[in-house]
Amino acid sequence: MSTLPGGLTLAIPSKGRLEELTRKAFSTARMNIARPGGARSYVGSIKNQPQVTVRFYPAAEIARELILGGVDIGVTGSDLIHEASENGEENVLFVRGLGFGEANVVVAIPDSWIDVQQMTDLADVASDFRSRHGRWLRVATKYVNLTRRHFAKYGIAEYRIVESAGATESAPAAGSADLIVDITSTGSTLAANQLRVLEDGLIMKSEANLIVSRTADWTPLRKAQLEALLSIMGGVPPGISTLL
Amino acid sequence: MKTASERYAALVRLVESRTVTRATPALLLPAGPYFDLAGEEFGRNLLLTTTNNGVEYCLRPDFTLPIAQQYLEDGLTGAPSAYTYLGPIFRQYQSTPVEFEQAGLELLGQADADNALDQVLTFARWALAIYDITAPSVRLGGVGLFEAFLEAAQIPVAWRSRIRHRFGHPEALERLMERLANPEERVEAPAPDSRDTVIEIVTDAMLSGGLSLIGSRTPEEIADRYLEKQALESAPIPPETVALLQNYLSVAESTETAFERISEMCKQAGFDFDEPLYQVRNHAAALAALSPNADVIFDASFSPRLDYYTGIVFEMTGSDGEVLASGGEYDRMLERLGAGEPVKASGCALWVDRLEREAEQ
Repeated sequence: MSTLPGGLTLAIPSKGRLEELTRKAFSTARMNIARPGGARSYVGSIKNQPQVTVRFYPAAEIARELILGGVDIGVTGSDLIHEASENGEENVLFVRGLGFGEANVVVAIPDSWIDVQQMTDLADVASDFRSRHGRWLRVATKYVNLTRRHFAKYGIAEYRIVESAGATESAPAAGSADLIVDITSTGSTLAANQLRVLEDGLIMKSEANLIVSRTADWTPLRKAQLEALLSIMGGVPPGISTLL
Repeated sequence: MKTASERYAALVRLVESRTVTRATPALLLPAGPYFDLAGEEFGRNLLLTTTNNGVEYCLRPDFTLPIAQQYLEDGLTGAPSAYTYLGPIFRQYQSTPVEFEQAGLELLGQADADNALDQVLTFARWALAIYDITAPSVRLGGVGLFEAFLEAAQIPVAWRSRIRHRFGHPEALERLMERLANPEERVEAPAPDSRDTVIEIVTDAMLSGGLSLIGSRTPEEIADRYLEKQALESAPIPPETVALLQNYLSVAESTETAFERISEMCKQAGFDFDEPLYQVRNHAAALAALSPNADVIFDASFSPRLDYYTGIVFEMTGSDGEVLASGGEYDRMLERLGAGEPVKASGCALWVDRLEREAEQ
């Protein structure tokens, strides 16, 4: 979407706490993000940085756009980059964590499964689940790719994913799944639903990251503009653009 | 010098030879049966499409499943049938869609399973010959042999299923082997709880978590596995048996040397394993007769990651290490598709594009 020859597109989460904290992080670096049309508008700008076009997207969409090169720079959770595509992380450059939006993607089982502590126990349970119950072990999650990769690593093939858009933690009690893969920051939601994280059930630690697309069309001019913008943000060693 | 189209025509003639039926399953197939048979790990490679009411279909990712399903639907279960196929299959890898040309043979319900497997090997051999590949590298594996080995080595049943389940997944098997070799130091194990007490504790925990006692794992199932785990931890497999198992899994050499090594290690461990080895030895000999220039090895730890494989499995690779043909015996597949019991089945799939690349080199 970038207009040639110069100019950068920066994608910012379009709503909620993530938007608020992202704008705060930029204003700390004296870059106030203006959103003239308010919450209904999807284009904004940064004062004194006319070469930057700001676009407001849902966080998951920012991950997809970064991977495909539709935007140049973006703020989104690292979990969403890993989830958006099987090789998503190869197509972006994580510049730095922003110190908010911290959460872990974990495998959690009903606390009453006292025989299951580790993924290897889960592998045993999965292996004969179908012969016992006439169906596959079901995992509720919105993290389809992360779950598949983590389970494959532990040699678990005998399960089905039930895609869940929200309230994943209630799936075992609702009977729509046997266990879950979900994001947790304090663990209190899991505990309230009497779910327990497996000892080796941490799939990844995530936080909001400043991320640069590797697949965008990086001309020398745009690389220079990127370096300039990142140096104002601070906390980033110069020369990032040489990695693109 | 043959051209690519002449080679393809020869492959069509092989697939349409008189003793077999060429099957042509639809390009668009319900995705459910694939997920049911092969699970999420294979499912991630499907190219899916969804109808308005949410039913998932996929572009044909292989021929074996629809052929086997048709065989069951036609009420042929147990009747000897021979199917071949040739056509495109579709999958995705690393989020990129790929179209391959695949050919193959499926022998279902054959009375003589050994003869059927030799026919499959012969078919693969002929297909490779069309592409002037006369000295492939062949890797043989024994799924049934490994199951027999676990039993002959007197590994406790509960451990056997844990080990068997990880067969074909080197990382997971390696982790389990490490666990077996270094059993956790137990701090004076508490007196085992009675089964009833454990069931009661689990039932309470399930009810307070709002879980149904029958919808998923039951309290009895959880309690039994919990007690079984306690028992296994207090009675680890003897170190010499673990060493034998590791030794067996490390065998990967030319067939006769490999079989001798296995036979010898079993004798030293005090049991005779020549009878189970006899069958795989015969197939290796048949293969050597068919393809005198092939480099055939037996790899004791080789197995596809699909639990319906039962007997001997094989893989033929070309000069750059890519798999050109793979297959074996999978008697549990038709059972898994609803046949009610295992039905003899063996077959192989050929990667036609790779064969063609090999021929052009």
